[in-house]
Amino acid sequence: MPLKALDIYKLLPKKNCKECGDPTCLTFAMKLASGKGDVTKCPYLDEDAKVVLGASTRPPIQLVRVGVGELRFGVGDEFVLFRHEKTFYHPTALMISVSDRWTADEIRVQTRRVASDHLVRVGADLRLNGIAIRNDSGSPEAFGKAVAAVEETATHLPEVLMATDPAAQEAGLASCGHFRPLIHAATMETYPAMCGLAKKFGCPLVISAPDLATLSDLSKRCTAEGVARLMLDVSPSSLADYIPAATLIRRLAICRAQPEFGYPVFLDATRYGNQDTAIALGILKYASVIATETLPPATLRAALTLRQNIYTDPQKPIQMNPGLYPIGSPGKDAPVLMTVNFSLTFFTLQGYLESARVPCYMLIVDTEGLSVLTAVASGKLNETLVKESLKRFDVGSSVTHRKLIIPGYASPLSGRIEEETGWKVLVGPRDAAEIGEYLAQEWKS
Amino acid sequence: MPVVTFLPGYRKATVSEGGTILEAAQKAGLQMNVVCGGQGKCGKCIVQVKSGRFSFDSEKFGRVFSPEEIASGFCLACQATVGGDVHVIVPESSLIQEQKILIEGLGIETEFNPSIWKYYLELTPPTLEDPSPDLTRLLWAIQKKGGPVAEKIYAPLEVLQSAPRVLRDSGWRVTATVALVPGGYRLIDLEKGDTSKNLYGAAVDLGTTTIVVYLRSLVDGKVVGVASNYNRQISCGEDILSRVNYAKKHGLEPLQELAAESINQAITTAANNASIDRDDIYEVVVAGNTIMTHILMGIDPAYMIEEPYVPVVRRYLTTSGARVGLEVDRDAGVFIFPAVSDFIGGDIVADILSCGMAEQEEITLMVDIGTNFEVVLGNKEWMFSCAGAAGPALEGGEVLFGMRANPGAIERVSIDPATLTPSYETINHEKPRGITGSGLIDILAELLRACVIDRTGRINTSIENRRIRTGQYFPEYVVAWKGETAIGKDIVITENDIKNLIMSKASVLGACITLMNQAGITREQIDGIAFSGAFGNYINKENAIMIGLIPEVPIERIRNIGNGAVAGANIALINRKKRKVLDEIARNIAYVELNAESSFMDEYTRAAFLPHTDLGLFPKVEKFLDECRLRSREHP
Amino acid sequence: MTDGGSDWSGKIGEVVLGATAADGGTRKVSYRVGGDDDLPFLGGCTSGHRPLVAYEICDDPGLWPQIVRDYCGDLVNDPASWSKAAEREYGADLIRLSLTSTRRRGFSDFAALGKTVHDVLHATGLPLIIEGSNDPQIDSEVFQQCGEAGQGERLLLGTAEAGRYRSVAAAALAYGHGVIAQSPIDINLAKQLNILLKEIGVPLDRVVIDPYTGALGYGFEYSYSVMERIRYSALKGDQDLQVPMISAASDSLNIKEVREAEPAIRDEMAVRWEFYAALPAIVAGAAIVVVRHPGTVKALRDAVEKMWPGEVTANAAQGA
Repeated sequence: MPLKALDIYKLLPKKNCKECGDPTCLTFAMKLASGKGDVTKCPYLDEDAKVVLGASTRPPIQLVRVGVGELRFGVGDEFVLFRHEKTFYHPTALMISVSDRWTADEIRVQTRRVASDHLVRVGADLRLNGIAIRNDSGSPEAFGKAVAAVEETATHLPEVLMATDPAAQEAGLASCGHFRPLIHAATMETYPAMCGLAKKFGCPLVISAPDLATLSDLSKRCTAEGVARLMLDVSPSSLADYIPAATLIRRLAICRAQPEFGYPVFLDATRYGNQDTAIALGILKYASVIATETLPPATLRAALTLRQNIYTDPQKPIQMNPGLYPIGSPGKDAPVLMTVNFSLTFFTLQGYLESARVPCYMLIVDTEGLSVLTAVASGKLNETLVKESLKRFDVGSSVTHRKLIIPGYASPLSGRIEEETGWKVLVGPRDAAEIGEYLAQEWKS
Repeated sequence: MPVVTFLPGYRKATVSEGGTILEAAQKAGLQMNVVCGGQGKCGKCIVQVKSGRFSFDSEKFGRVFSPEEIASGFCLACQATVGGDVHVIVPESSLIQEQKILIEGLGIETEFNPSIWKYYLELTPPTLEDPSPDLTRLLWAIQKKGGPVAEKIYAPLEVLQSAPRVLRDSGWRVTATVALVPGGYRLIDLEKGDTSKNLYGAAVDLGTTTIVVYLRSLVDGKVVGVASNYNRQISCGEDILSRVNYAKKHGLEPLQELAAESINQAITTAANNASIDRDDIYEVVVAGNTIMTHILMGIDPAYMIEEPYVPVVRRYLTTSGARVGLEVDRDAGVFIFPAVSDFIGGDIVADILSCGMAEQEEITLMVDIGTNFEVVLGNKEWMFSCAGAAGPALEGGEVLFGMRANPGAIERVSIDPATLTPSYETINHEKPRGITGSGLIDILAELLRACVIDRTGRINTSIENRRIRTGQYFPEYVVAWKGETAIGKDIVITENDIKNLIMSKASVLGACITLMNQAGITREQIDGIAFSGAFGNYINKENAIMIGLIPEVPIERIRNIGNGAVAGANIALINRKKRKVLDEIARNIAYVELNAESSFMDEYTRAAFLPHTDLGLFPKVEKFLDECRLRSREHP
Repeated sequence: MTDGGSDWSGKIGEVVLGATAADGGTRKVSYRVGGDDDLPFLGGCTSGHRPLVAYEICDDPGLWPQIVRDYCGDLVNDPASWSKAAEREYGADLIRLSLTSTRRRGFSDFAALGKTVHDVLHATGLPLIIEGSNDPQIDSEVFQQCGEAGQGERLLLGTAEAGRYRSVAAAALAYGHGVIAQSPIDINLAKQLNILLKEIGVPLDRVVIDPYTGALGYGFEYSYSVMERIRYSALKGDQDLQVPMISAASDSLNIKEVREAEPAIRDEMAVRWEFYAALPAIVAGAAIVVVRHPGTVKALRDAVEKMWPGEVTANAAQGA
């Protein structure tokens, strides 16, 4: 249970000295309780209080970075089991495989595609994160060449070197070791050599074991060897075992019971004969890095969108992209209904409009996710915003009339909107459920 | 310029062509009911133009009228512009009527520690043997009378300029007025003869809607007069937002003047009733919300209604009566209560002072409900506060037949669960004209008990009873048949009204629970709930819990502190020690911004159910509802 | 910060779908859904039942996604044959029949609804979910017709909402069916609706929560967490939420990514878009997921087979 503001307040010196920047200890306590404060700003904390308050600020899962430069990514540094408790911070990295059995050309083509494959949706740039190079050949030399082929095609792409043989790893690291690739994977048998390589090149290291007890042991050994940045591959034998294993690791990590599990999880999605399922489970249930085969375009889009959804901050009001949304196939005389970009408002109105079966446009203006009522009250929804939105989405060229239907709750703005935009404003109903009837009775273009 | 004549009463006013009837009404001194501030949306300022040229966009603003009414000249005063001389009938219902305003024995207990004194002095005139200056003579006499040490009293130039004449004309018998002001003692007045009994102070509650003034003798602290009246700013808009918007458009000055005039009006009434000269009022203590006090002090409140909602000042303020236009002694000190934030004003600090929260171990939940609500939870060690918009429903606004607590308003209702026949009481026992907030709460609770509405407030239209029917837009319950009423219409409560009421009460309850969560306390740990303001005085406490307006606590733990704002102002007026701690109280109250508190939306949704989604928080109501449900199954 | 272990005090109640001859119906299979006493996939095969995949058909394809009409061809004009294909070809666990004809303005042919339900029940042996009208004015007639036509078959009738639940509840109570309780992506509203149903006499073992599922990329992030929260609260002991969930990201096939996909991969896009919302819904706790593209049914069945710890045919309720 997170500490309540008052519990924290009781631990504070109650001097109201303002040195933390807050006017009183109580307001400082409120900030700490909401996770927005920095406990070290209080100079008068006693040791006991430091222990209680300090403990909850250090992330229970180590942040591990892979790669260098612009495309470098960091994973881990998570705090919760469910995203609704706070949020998930560091999106799962998707690494696309190449094999050292492929020709150098095949490797180059794949690498180039990964480097260039990215989609833009809802304002975010969705990309694949890097390349997983697999030592399928068993030959260190072939592996070294494959890694070199990736390197010469796209030096900046983060990499996972997937080889169980330390000799192969060494061959790969020879060409890319200084770009901080992820080494996959040390086992009970190979860890001394793998740890040596990880330390030599300063690379993060995945450790792999068939069960959690062994994984725990291995983790402690690697830490003892001096490798600080680890990832855990639970190598479940089936997807049925993945969720329990990954959940247990996350639980043990966040309650800080066993610090050896306080590392990000790695999942090789190619091993279960159903890559879509493995990717989805990995994204949902705590995998920080997933290695996959080439993704068909549909899977690519859907998987990256799922990742975006899961790693969206659930505390933020859900917002729609502002814009002009057609309902049905609206013509030039179709009504235009303006509303806010709070997504529930959007979905509700959209639903009723669709069932009303009147082709029309929804003009969604950016109120930062506030509902109509709060947006009007706070002034976020105003005539200037409406004017700018009409212009920005070029509503005037989609329809020939100049009439705008606004939500019932926005009626106080009707006059000002008319003045500012020159559009005739019709005040719609307050309840979206009445929109069908409203359009049927009121709308004449 | 066109002349507008208002009937009945033939009051006249001129406005420029194109001016609104509302403007004319305000010039003519008519207090029109303008809930929305003249935006044409509340539909309350209905008038009928009998003759003359005027224009009114009935398509846009005429929704409240039938075509016949439009044809016979009905329009909204705020939207109808005049094109020549017109005669206008103003129905009674469009005027603000005398309202039940909360004035009562305050029952405050505090030490008498005034900060102003009068000393009647009989001075020995100067002689050649005793040639000390007038001032020395005066100050020594004050000290001898038990007043402050002579050297510590500062005498301003104006008093010195008048002193030689006053002393000599009075034959060296004068009354000196000394006040304790920031920085020390100050000789603020010198009068001929013995006026030492004529020392008064005013405690003012500067509300958005009403002004209440208590006059007290500062010789013994006793109340000598009380008066109240509407805040005359209402003609610039009913709620605080429309006032600020009005100020943005027309400047702050008219609002500042109206605030001062409203206070003056109440002070004059109280003073006249007590046969007191207003010039003998030497101190005015004002508690009001942050926007009201900003306006009174002539400080621009515009930035408080926009993000990031910043007031200009939070600490207490002092000035003189003359500088803000108060018609009291021109040097009278004006003391303005400090605020916690833009939304938690001096009125709430005064509430806290009067309910004793800041001095007790016991945990108090203080709730002040109006269109906006404020909630403070705490004790002497910690206090959390928050504020929000409850919407006007609980005060009768945005409810079809809602009205303020005016004569004819239904204020108490009970409903026979078997026949669904209501019995009600109205204010002044007049025929009903509408329903007040307390009446609405009763109806909601009673309809729930009778299983007419479900816990979202939806009316079960399958019940066969002629009082349950479907109106033009919504299902409704008939509270009074038109024959019983003064308005010739059935008075009903619609499902939409109920929805608005539930949204309002959910804001309040959600806010209470959010603060309880911040503090980590349960309802059992609340030692008392204090209702502040008029609202708490009239409502039925059991019904307030039944609908989940406040958390369930034993009824005996709920009390009304009445007008806590004016009570707090009274305490500060007569006890200067309390005045000193106000800034500290205000500073120690932590403000929880509900909009930034992600759990509030959840708590709001949970509270938007009767009485709450989790009946575990309302164990008594749960038991009661079970019984009601059983009963309704037995007698369907 | 988070619950450390799985010391749950609550358990999801079970709901039976479909009645076989033994129970007075004509379904060749009936299912139990719910019964979980842990988070999804954590309690082993003793916690709850295998998630089910429902295929959704309609009685008026004019309002159905073009991509399904193209893929299924003439079948879409004949709900009975379509349901048969769903059972035999697509591999659905159960059928959801959406009575889209009721959405037409001025709809009044209530008798036709009863006939359609009857025909579909005749054509398939799978349990049936019915999605009725969404207009309170005709709810009563619609649910009465469907309820009666499916009497004894333990249908699942949808959709009850906070503003209109009495008609569907009355039909379910009168003819022995279950009810889908839909609320707009909010745990508290879901709970409130269950309370409303309970308070008018619908036992919660007849209720399935539909928390409303936004399409992937279009509100799904919110639906996912609401499902997780509902499951979590139920396990923590909130009795009003201890009912199984159904998830239908019904907008999936209307969204831009699918509509504007290149023809060659449009079906694949449709399947993936449904799959990547339905599978997470299952992981969040949905007992039934509903899809519209035939290809998605198989993809989901395969996935569940990989994930489900027990025998995949294990939750038929006959004799249980």
